Amino acid sequence: MVDSQSQTLGAHGGDPSTRRDFLVIASSALAGIGAACAVWPLIVSMNPARDTLAAGAPIDIDISSVQPGQQIVVLWRSRPIFIVHRTSDELKKLQDSADLSLLRDANSDVLQQPDYAKNWHRSVKPELLVLVGICTHLGCIPNFVPAPGGGLGPAWPGGYFCPCHGSRYDLAGRVFTGVPAPFNLPVPPHRFVSDTVVRIGENPPDSNFDFGSIEQI
Amino acid sequence: MRPILSRLALAGIALIAAGAAHAQSEAIPPLPAVKWSFDGPFGTFDRAALQRGFQVYSQVCSNCHSMNLLAYGDLAGPGALGYTEEQVKAIAAEKQVNDVDDNGQPAQRPARPSDHFVAPFANEKAARAANNGALPPDLSVIIKAREGGADYVHAILTGFREAPADFPMADGMNYNLYFPGHQIAMPPPLQDDSVAYADGTKATLDQEARDVATFLTWASEPTMEERKRTGVKVILFLLALTGVLYGAKRRIWASLH
Amino acid sequence: MARPQNKLVRWIDHRLPVFTFLEHELNEYPTPKNLNYWWNFGSLAGIVLIIMIVTGIFLAMQYTPHVDYAFNSVERIMRDVNYGWLMRYIHMNGASFFFIITYIHIFRGLYYGSYKAPRELLWILGVVILLLMMATAFMGYVLPWGQMSFWGATVITNLFSAFPGIGNDIVTWLWGGFAVGNPTLNRFFSLHYLLPFVIVAVVGLHLVALHQHGSNNPLGIDRKGPQDSIPFHPYYTYKDMFGLSVFLVVFALIVFFWPNALSDPQNYIPANPMQTPPEIVPEWYFLPFYAILRSIPSKLFGVCAMFGSILVLFIVPWLDTSKVRSAYFRPIYKWVFWLLVIDAFVLGWVGAHRPEGWFVVIGRIGTLYYYAHFLILMPFIGWFERPLPLPPSISEAVLKKRGPVPHAGAAE
Repeated sequence: MVDSQSQTLGAHGGDPSTRRDFLVIASSALAGIGAACAVWPLIVSMNPARDTLAAGAPIDIDISSVQPGQQIVVLWRSRPIFIVHRTSDELKKLQDSADLSLLRDANSDVLQQPDYAKNWHRSVKPELLVLVGICTHLGCIPNFVPAPGGGLGPAWPGGYFCPCHGSRYDLAGRVFTGVPAPFNLPVPPHRFVSDTVVRIGENPPDSNFDFGSIEQI
Repeated sequence: MRPILSRLALAGIALIAAGAAHAQSEAIPPLPAVKWSFDGPFGTFDRAALQRGFQVYSQVCSNCHSMNLLAYGDLAGPGALGYTEEQVKAIAAEKQVNDVDDNGQPAQRPARPSDHFVAPFANEKAARAANNGALPPDLSVIIKAREGGADYVHAILTGFREAPADFPMADGMNYNLYFPGHQIAMPPPLQDDSVAYADGTKATLDQEARDVATFLTWASEPTMEERKRTGVKVILFLLALTGVLYGAKRRIWASLH
Repeated sequence: MARPQNKLVRWIDHRLPVFTFLEHELNEYPTPKNLNYWWNFGSLAGIVLIIMIVTGIFLAMQYTPHVDYAFNSVERIMRDVNYGWLMRYIHMNGASFFFIITYIHIFRGLYYGSYKAPRELLWILGVVILLLMMATAFMGYVLPWGQMSFWGATVITNLFSAFPGIGNDIVTWLWGGFAVGNPTLNRFFSLHYLLPFVIVAVVGLHLVALHQHGSNNPLGIDRKGPQDSIPFHPYYTYKDMFGLSVFLVVFALIVFFWPNALSDPQNYIPANPMQTPPEIVPEWYFLPFYAILRSIPSKLFGVCAMFGSILVLFIVPWLDTSKVRSAYFRPIYKWVFWLLVIDAFVLGWVGAHRPEGWFVVIGRIGTLYYYAHFLILMPFIGWFERPLPLPPSISEAVLKKRGPVPHAGAAE
């Protein structure tokens, strides 16, 4: 006699149906694991591919022709990198406490730079500034405005001005208060392979800094 | 209309005769079977053979054959040839790559690991001009692109012979036992001691052919080992799942018996 | 009931009756109790369709449909994209398995008379799905832009020039140029992405048509009452899952250990419009049709014979005159069916070889038999055959156990 009504799972107690319950649970569990394992490679496939990661390898930039006061822009990992040869005047201004009070994060407390750039000049060597040139507000590329005063007002010490929504940064990439950008411009991993060549994307030998750990690009 | 039957018979005889003659001049002997370390579901690449094979490729084959789909960085790591990043940087730096200098003028720079293998010729026409009109094929996927795979490549490399007396050879062609048609534009690229192996292995022709075929197999499919490893795990899991599902199915259907 | 699931379920169901629908189609839907494993292949085909769509979507994220980049983008997927090799091999071999499953599913239908009233439209929708699958697979094979991709596309699109008068215009229109080239590749990519979703829609219709009268069964007799059927869930859900698992083992063996066994090495050579490969051969699932095409010496009639071989499938419900559905009770047709199966394999074998010598003769005989089977044997055997007596009902045949029943479902 076949009674389809009673074919609900686990309706009866006793040996046959508990064995069936076990098999049903086991097969559901295994099937679930299998489905997850099948979906996972698809999701992972969307992560950067090997060649994309390889293209993000460190690049060497010859800075011998960058004059004091001059900025060059290079691309690393498809992002603009500002490289500035700061003058001694500009370096003095950086340490000026009057200007420091205008900054949101003068001491670089927020993790936007490697450990070796957590200093008053936010770089390895004071005269060479290396920044990721992407405004921490919504991602535009700020303009380089190193000259004090001028159109940005008498209190302007020199630095960066973002044309999209008016965010301002000083010549160490530190963000001013009263502007929409929340964080200092990031400092990428970099080191000097020689006096005239800086390698962007690689830490000095004594540091293991992971650029992925910064607060915001 | 001639009677169809005798026509068929004549055609049949002609076909058989033509077939026999056809067979004699074009019969390719079966490829000598080679035992490869990567054969079978559990096969893996012999790293020493890969490095030797890469040496053969770099020193001999790369003079005519490009391998455009591989980058120098692909050679690094235990899943590849086992070279370190530093070694790979050095291998890459030996080659020059076209680039543009700061004034926008064409210039050359040493290759980086992210660069693809530098091709021996600038374009197809240059390659043909340097090789009597024949184009040395790119070797990136050559093992997958030939019936017989590694066995075939090994056979070709060791299959050069003197042409038989009655075999008409075209100008500039070389007789090869295993190449379809027996005439190949490539002169024998390898012989005993064509290279001096860095690890001291005796460089016989057969050894060089095996090593370079191993390397080319890796180059054609660098993910082969990962594929087989994953396959073993997947099959085992699926067998378990099948077993459990069979049990569940039998249990559920048992009440209908 | 205070339980949130029930309240939520009722809230949704009141507005969009998904749960009622599932309850009806899975738990209440009466399925014959005697289905054998040949009935697994329909759901298997549906699952493989989903696998193909999912892998295809992720592959399309990485593929470049331009003649200068296509081949290299596929190799990039194989080498650089995380698990790219896995997605590619699954998609590539999934196509082959989709056809294996579908061909078995079709032969099941032919053997058990599943195309007979009232399931004629169900069958016709199935043939539409087959046509869409063939178009999708053909275009998909062009995308890697290997030698076979290019030359297969050239040969098949050139077929359309057989049409008198407008033939050449049709071909130029298909190509978007003077030969197969970048415009062709681009449009094939677009259509290859589109057609699987059309297939999904037609599969939906196919299932609606199926559920109108329910599945056929190995005995070919109608269900007479509830004693002949069982709910689809859990009986056939678990049986289908078990069958799927067995299929996956076979599929995994190919994907992981012999991923290139079913494909042509020539397609790992980048397309070269200046050099025709020594043999132009389509993928194995097209070989029987390729053999039919080449067996007729006239270009136009060869094309007609090839398309005709699929079009004839549309009218099978009316070609078969037998009053009895299942071949189990048809002593003559039962053997003739196997002749068709053998013929399919023979035509496939012929299609793989150059059309010379004995292959031509055998190919022609095979083509003649194919058409004779449908147009002559099916009607005539139906008229003159004396079928075996049918059992009174499914459940009685099942209960008889050792009776004249081959694989009565439960006892498999």
